[in-house]
Amino acid sequence: MDADGLNDALGLSNDKSQNLGAYIYQPSKHGKSAWERPSKRRKVSSTADRDEQLNRQRFVPLLNGDENTESVQLRHDTYRELWSKQENKIQDILEDVDAGVLTDVLSFVRDTSLQTCDGCIPTALVTVGSNVSSLSRLLSRLNGQLISTEEGSVVVLESGDAPNLKTTLKNIIRAAVTNTDGNDGYQKFLTDRAGPRLLGYDLDLLHDYVQRKGTKKLVLALRDSEAFDPGLLTDLLSLFKSWLDRIPFTVLLGISTSVELFEGRLPRSCVALLQGKHFEVQEAGNCVDRIYETLQTDPDTNLWLGRNVTSTLFENTSDYFQSPEAFSRMVKYAYMSHFFANPLAVLLAKPDSTVIAQNKLCEAVRNLPSFRMFCEDLVEEGPTKQVRDMLEDDEYLIQETPKYLEANQQRMRNMFQAVRVVHVCLQYTQSTKKANVSDLSVRALSGELSESPIVEEMVAAAKTLDSDKLDELLVRLGAIINNPEANAIQEDLRTLLETCSESGPLRSGYSINSTVTKTTVVQQRIRLSKGQADLSEQAVEYTNIVDRLVALLQVHLTESLINPQDLFLHEAFLFDLRNPLKETFAPRPRFAIERALATPFDYLLSSSDVTMAKVSAKQPATSILYQLYLDSGALVNVHDLWQAFYGVFETEEADGCDDRVVMSLFYGALSELKAFGVIKNSRKKTDHLAKSAWMGL
Amino acid sequence: MPQVAFTTNSAYKIRSKPTGPPMLPKEVASSLSTQWPCRDLQIRQLASLLSPHVPSPPTLVVHGISATCKSTILRAVLATVEVPHAIVRSSECITGRHLLTKILWNTLETLGQKEEWEKSGKGRCEQVSGLAVLLEECLAARPVDNQGKFVLVLDEIDRQREAPHTLLSALARLGEIIPSLCVLLVLSSTPRPLFLQSAAVPHVSFPPYTRKEAIHIILSSDAPVLDGLPDETSSRVYPYFVSTVYDSLVGPTAGSIPDFRSICDRLWPRFVAPVVNGETPPGGNDEWDFSRLLVKNRAIFRHQGESALVHRIVPDETPASAKRAPLAKTAMPSALPSLPYFSTLILTSAYLASHTPQRLDTIFFSKFSSSSLSARNKRAHHRRRLKVLSQAQAEERQAANDDPSTPNKKGKRTKTRITKSTLSSAFATSSATTSAIGGGAGIAGPSTILTAPTPLRVAAVADRIYAELATLRRLRLVVPAASHSAMATSSGNTTADAGDKWCVNVSGDWVGELAKGIGVEVGEWLAGGLD
Repeated sequence: MDADGLNDALGLSNDKSQNLGAYIYQPSKHGKSAWERPSKRRKVSSTADRDEQLNRQRFVPLLNGDENTESVQLRHDTYRELWSKQENKIQDILEDVDAGVLTDVLSFVRDTSLQTCDGCIPTALVTVGSNVSSLSRLLSRLNGQLISTEEGSVVVLESGDAPNLKTTLKNIIRAAVTNTDGNDGYQKFLTDRAGPRLLGYDLDLLHDYVQRKGTKKLVLALRDSEAFDPGLLTDLLSLFKSWLDRIPFTVLLGISTSVELFEGRLPRSCVALLQGKHFEVQEAGNCVDRIYETLQTDPDTNLWLGRNVTSTLFENTSDYFQSPEAFSRMVKYAYMSHFFANPLAVLLAKPDSTVIAQNKLCEAVRNLPSFRMFCEDLVEEGPTKQVRDMLEDDEYLIQETPKYLEANQQRMRNMFQAVRVVHVCLQYTQSTKKANVSDLSVRALSGELSESPIVEEMVAAAKTLDSDKLDELLVRLGAIINNPEANAIQEDLRTLLETCSESGPLRSGYSINSTVTKTTVVQQRIRLSKGQADLSEQAVEYTNIVDRLVALLQVHLTESLINPQDLFLHEAFLFDLRNPLKETFAPRPRFAIERALATPFDYLLSSSDVTMAKVSAKQPATSILYQLYLDSGALVNVHDLWQAFYGVFETEEADGCDDRVVMSLFYGALSELKAFGVIKNSRKKTDHLAKSAWMGL
Repeated sequence: MPQVAFTTNSAYKIRSKPTGPPMLPKEVASSLSTQWPCRDLQIRQLASLLSPHVPSPPTLVVHGISATCKSTILRAVLATVEVPHAIVRSSECITGRHLLTKILWNTLETLGQKEEWEKSGKGRCEQVSGLAVLLEECLAARPVDNQGKFVLVLDEIDRQREAPHTLLSALARLGEIIPSLCVLLVLSSTPRPLFLQSAAVPHVSFPPYTRKEAIHIILSSDAPVLDGLPDETSSRVYPYFVSTVYDSLVGPTAGSIPDFRSICDRLWPRFVAPVVNGETPPGGNDEWDFSRLLVKNRAIFRHQGESALVHRIVPDETPASAKRAPLAKTAMPSALPSLPYFSTLILTSAYLASHTPQRLDTIFFSKFSSSSLSARNKRAHHRRRLKVLSQAQAEERQAANDDPSTPNKKGKRTKTRITKSTLSSAFATSSATTSAIGGGAGIAGPSTILTAPTPLRVAAVADRIYAELATLRRLRLVVPAASHSAMATSSGNTTADAGDKWCVNVSGDWVGELAKGIGVEVGEWLAGGLD
């Protein structure tokens, strides 16, 4: 089931706008239009009205515009509700992840002072790795805590705020004052002073502020320490050092590479000013894994992300600098596109039958590929009555659809529970490589997990577990699998362990220790034969328990690890379109520009029917020149280029083309290419142009 | 020497009547020497020059390298001889104007005229000439019985930021214009002759402490107290220990007294650890003496002592374990950051591109030659040849790596410029080979090992390169070639249009380690890199 099939089914490709060759961008004019009053004078109430109206009409009717407003609204509301739930979960996870580091940093800030650091500036080095955004979360929470206990505050400084020493100091002072007193407070602070007005960068101001507020800790956080100019940083730190006896600075440096590298780049004299501790923020990868696991495997999830979306999401996380927030934005976009463009999404809102009946939804459902498969299966099974009803009777279909939807959603939930089961088991059985939930989910979503070697190995390894580990495993499994059999196994194991608690962990008949290799010499050949060692009574009983568990696992996994693409109505609750996500979050402007220049008729409507294999005079001049440019080497003689350009026009319009017109076209095209930055004047030869961009690189 | 924290504003408050007879320079010296030993001469000089009953020279220069106790002694002397003074720390002033304003303010504060700031130029002062007028006014405004001399101390004036080049000589003239003022310039560098453009300015020099003096200062405080160490042993061994530390670590590196003290404090517990732990001394003796401890602890002075000289932001958490192999620990490459896959790839290709001579680009980084046999042979040939050429260099580097004293010494800074095209062509190789794998092409030559473990999964990389390059630039792993030299002055580092050439800003070993993480063996692609 590919994306195109789904598009066809949903009637997305009928949308005319997708077939247009080119789009004309018309910026909306601001201000001076004849019929509109300037925006300054617009009344507030009217804008609120408009906003509300906009809010209502944010989603457009689908199904060729036949969808009624009620169902559009339903889709919108369901999306809102669903996402707000998921967003809360994500927030909880993010806060939980940061909690450990936050307490560490907070206690460091509280405990250290000038004296504990041998007269150096107390410094907290926080390595964030690629998880760049976590630091700002951490800092804002630290700031909140310090302000609430009136111990001090956090001043966040970015490299952009620090072009030179004066501005940096000004920014620090302003940030420190506005952090607690607001912008008005800062202005007041500057003006309401006894004595003359101080210069804005005078740290006396900060000293004054600290004394007024009784600040005990002033944390100065440099969010991207590497990007700061080393000279400036040295200046700044030496200044802090000399003020340290009056202003209680604590410096917090956010580092994306490594402490050693950062330290190595600073001058010795600067390093000698600092002393402190190193903190590590958890990697973005772990965080994202947790978010994904919670979103997908939570028992009250209604909408799932498919295999393609999942792999796109994780590709982005591992390949580029991406924060967990960016990850959650991508997930949000995926949810949004599902509800925006899929009319079936209304089914997730559990609407009344009247809502479904009014729309062409029945027709849409009948056009689904999964519906066809479902019907084929039913026909094979025998009774054609149901199939006929579904095909012909709208009432019946409306009645049946929610039932199937509910049932299949439950199967999805079961599938993700099974994924969690596998994940938990793997933690006990797999020693070397840890498969994480996302990998397992991708496999499960493509229906490959139940036959994959991972699961087979896992089952084999589970057989050889000793009783202690098995007990732990059962406890964790019991929380996931709600099965009386699992509980029974656990109880049996408990009773068995109680009877033989003194003999140490039991081993099953499958473990290496209990197989014996016999060596017999038959006709001068050595024959190895494996046989069971004699097992104690308890071991036999334990082996039975292990067998029961393995059987349970196998049944459970084969039952629940289905291929989601086989489920009827999976289009409604599984979002698996790779494209909007990929194009939105990894746009390819350069590729698009190069393509437009090299083959302009991909975008523009061609007037002639001739297939445009090569350069022709009908193309825009810039594009002709660009194609000629592509054929040339690193240095291009301008005259040669002009000759070739002229040649293009000459061949097509044999009866004398005006070379002054062509020349002007040539100059226009040349300056446009220059504006694109693909050519520049060469310094080596005066009449040559240097190529500065290569296609596709 | 205890560093006493003085504040700028802790200025001398004018008393109505001087109490008691004035102290003679000798008495001042003797009273201060107990606290700051070995500075008798300087104290006596300063005390006699600054004494309230003797006319002072209009300008006085105090100079000496850092940590020679200049400011501390000066403050102590001024406080003891009870002369009104104002101290301005030049390092706290951001601009020249700031300095002048601060001078005026501190003077007003000391004179108790702070409330009348509106009279004296509304607290604003932008020129030295203006300062002279204002200072003269406020000094003249003092009560008649207090018209004595006033000392203005400008600490670290040679480190003033944004100072006009005439500032020093202009400040030195202040004392000539205003008779009751004595300007005291404290310099941390040795002044050149006639740097104030005026003749016969008295200089007081604070030379660095000699060996004898340094040891005397350290020994004037007792040895750090340790549990389980008998006082008697401690007092017997400590003097020898201190002089050994001076000879081996502090003297050769021109360390200052605070460094000396901190090294002693750090090494002492390790040095006497055998005694504290109750180990039996060798050679049948039943008591440890200095020479036995020294023989036992030779390693301390060799490795840990040297690491103790280097200040770290994060102090070593495990100071006690003397048994660990120090060499193995320090020679380890530093912890690698976790860069995403694509950024690592770009950094690696940037490094490769910058370390391959341009004429070899086609051999190493051509899409067409990456898998053919002849190209491989050529590559191998070039790797060998260049290796021979750079053997001397390699040996030198090896020596540097083995040297334990420089655990984090960077390899040679790469100054090779990389052009966009070579970077891209280096990059194109990797993407070309991986796309072959991704497409499931039958032939997987050895060159495809390049990124085989984690094939590149993005089709259009061109648009991503610049974004990631910008990130690398923010992390200063890659710096623009043009601003490399001018990095200290310009901080507009995040603007985009600084040219299209970059330098790799990290050592090759580091990049190599990083590249291993994504399955690229740098040596394979580097001319002369394969061993």
